[in-house]
Amino acid sequence: MGYRRNKEALALVLLLGAVTAMAQDHKKFVVVPKGIYEVGKSTSTQNPLRKVTVDSFRIAIYETTNREFAAFVAATGYITDAEKQHNALVFEPGLDEFRWKNDSTAYWRYPNGVSRGGINDRMNHPVTCISYRDVQAYCTWAGVRLPTLDEWEIACRAGTHTNYFFGNDDRSIKTYANVWHGHDHKKADYSDGYMYTSPVGHFKPNAWGLYDMYGNVFEFCTGKLTPSERPSIAHARGGSWWCSSSACHAFNSYSIGQVHVHASFSNQGFRVVEK
Amino acid sequence: MKPFYLFLGLMLALFACAAPDARSQNASHKKDTASKATNPDEEYVFKLIPFIDKSIMEPPYGLDRLKALIAKMESESTDKFIVATQLDAKVYDSLSFNEKFTYHMIHPESYSQNCSILPTRTDEANRIYGQLPHIFGEFSWSSRQYNFFKDNRDSVQQLIKSVIEKNRAVGENFKKAIVIMNSQELIPLLIGIYNKEKKDHYILTALMLLMKENNYPEFMKSAFYRTLYDLKTGRYSAHLTYNNTNEALIIQQATNFYNGLQAK
Repeated sequence: MGYRRNKEALALVLLLGAVTAMAQDHKKFVVVPKGIYEVGKSTSTQNPLRKVTVDSFRIAIYETTNREFAAFVAATGYITDAEKQHNALVFEPGLDEFRWKNDSTAYWRYPNGVSRGGINDRMNHPVTCISYRDVQAYCTWAGVRLPTLDEWEIACRAGTHTNYFFGNDDRSIKTYANVWHGHDHKKADYSDGYMYTSPVGHFKPNAWGLYDMYGNVFEFCTGKLTPSERPSIAHARGGSWWCSSSACHAFNSYSIGQVHVHASFSNQGFRVVEK
Repeated sequence: MKPFYLFLGLMLALFACAAPDARSQNASHKKDTASKATNPDEEYVFKLIPFIDKSIMEPPYGLDRLKALIAKMESESTDKFIVATQLDAKVYDSLSFNEKFTYHMIHPESYSQNCSILPTRTDEANRIYGQLPHIFGEFSWSSRQYNFFKDNRDSVQQLIKSVIEKNRAVGENFKKAIVIMNSQELIPLLIGIYNKEKKDHYILTALMLLMKENNYPEFMKSAFYRTLYDLKTGRYSAHLTYNNTNEALIIQQATNFYNGLQAK
């Protein structure tokens, strides 16, 4: 009798775990149906207003976390660009605008260098200090891909045509994103609770349930702006914890940045799309 | 037994309710016939293209030798792209001071962050921007390069002065170094070069950045400061309209600032 009860209990636990895992897995993606969508901005030369046609795609609700990247590294033994080159770029308050520090100790486990602490208590934060090439390796392993530049914007806009998915006034950004609120980067800014990354999903999502489309980390996309663009350039969107209104102001639906495919910054991350 | 199967049934029912909702969490959209999104990455033909911006000014000290060293370093890279490279310590230490200066001015050793190119600059002939443009594309000066400028301020300033006087122009890399080093001493030289053609409005930008960096009261109280740099109203992308009045006022303020420094 006792043996049977134990078996039932074990089955129950396994079932509970499976149900929870399946439900969570399904809840991690939002379906964006195929269709014609408006992207860009009328005044932008970089990303002009236009209509694009895309197939249906399923995009992750959250940015990829340290926990997810750790599983990839544990399974494959992958060594990131930052670990190979020892040339990651980190931030500390006091630097001039747009200036980052080289830190040979920095990589995804210590995204701002060993002296600024590791990720052990931040496994639910987005993974950073990874290059575009590292991200491609992750995607191959995980059987996922990055969104294209257009797909990212369609998902971010969530049907809106304004500069932000919440309108044209950026004063609401605090509700939706982990960004920098200081006038410059001379002093630390914890006004939204975080100087560096925040846990994924901490701030309010857009209308389609996608979290951190603005701020937290820049999200890599695939695609080029022009056919003649240098192959060493990758693009990322959405702004990051570093971005402020008085600096790049990149936390919006239309801006597109560029970064070297081997560069590793502690404000650079990604979210995936199902293949 | 019974409670177990009841619970099992309950869990399955819960999942049946929850999962479809999540699975079909469709975004609202404009439905239409769709073609497959292409990935331009797959279509691109790779080739090396130099990144150096044409507005970068090259110092003459050991230029050919340094270009050869940089080219060799880049050709030795196993990567198919130009990657951030730096001369190894032995070669670097063998350079003269002037050669080190040239090396730093033409070869950024590190990467720039994703938003460094933002915001984009347009209509520069009719605008005076509050910030200098980003010049090295996906590359940037490294920490050791910043330190070189700051740690050797006086010597670097002398070299900068000499190259500017010879070229009668101020390359964007020179303006950036001047601002990094807070080279107020070079204000008369900058004004003199600007007045030659009055076309390089980024010289006016450099003058304003020097006044801002030093909290020059006349400038900090001005409408220019409020427009370009103030916490509430200033933005990195902010600019002034280029006209004779604004031009003259910036030069006058910078002259006053410099004269005040000399009087101290």
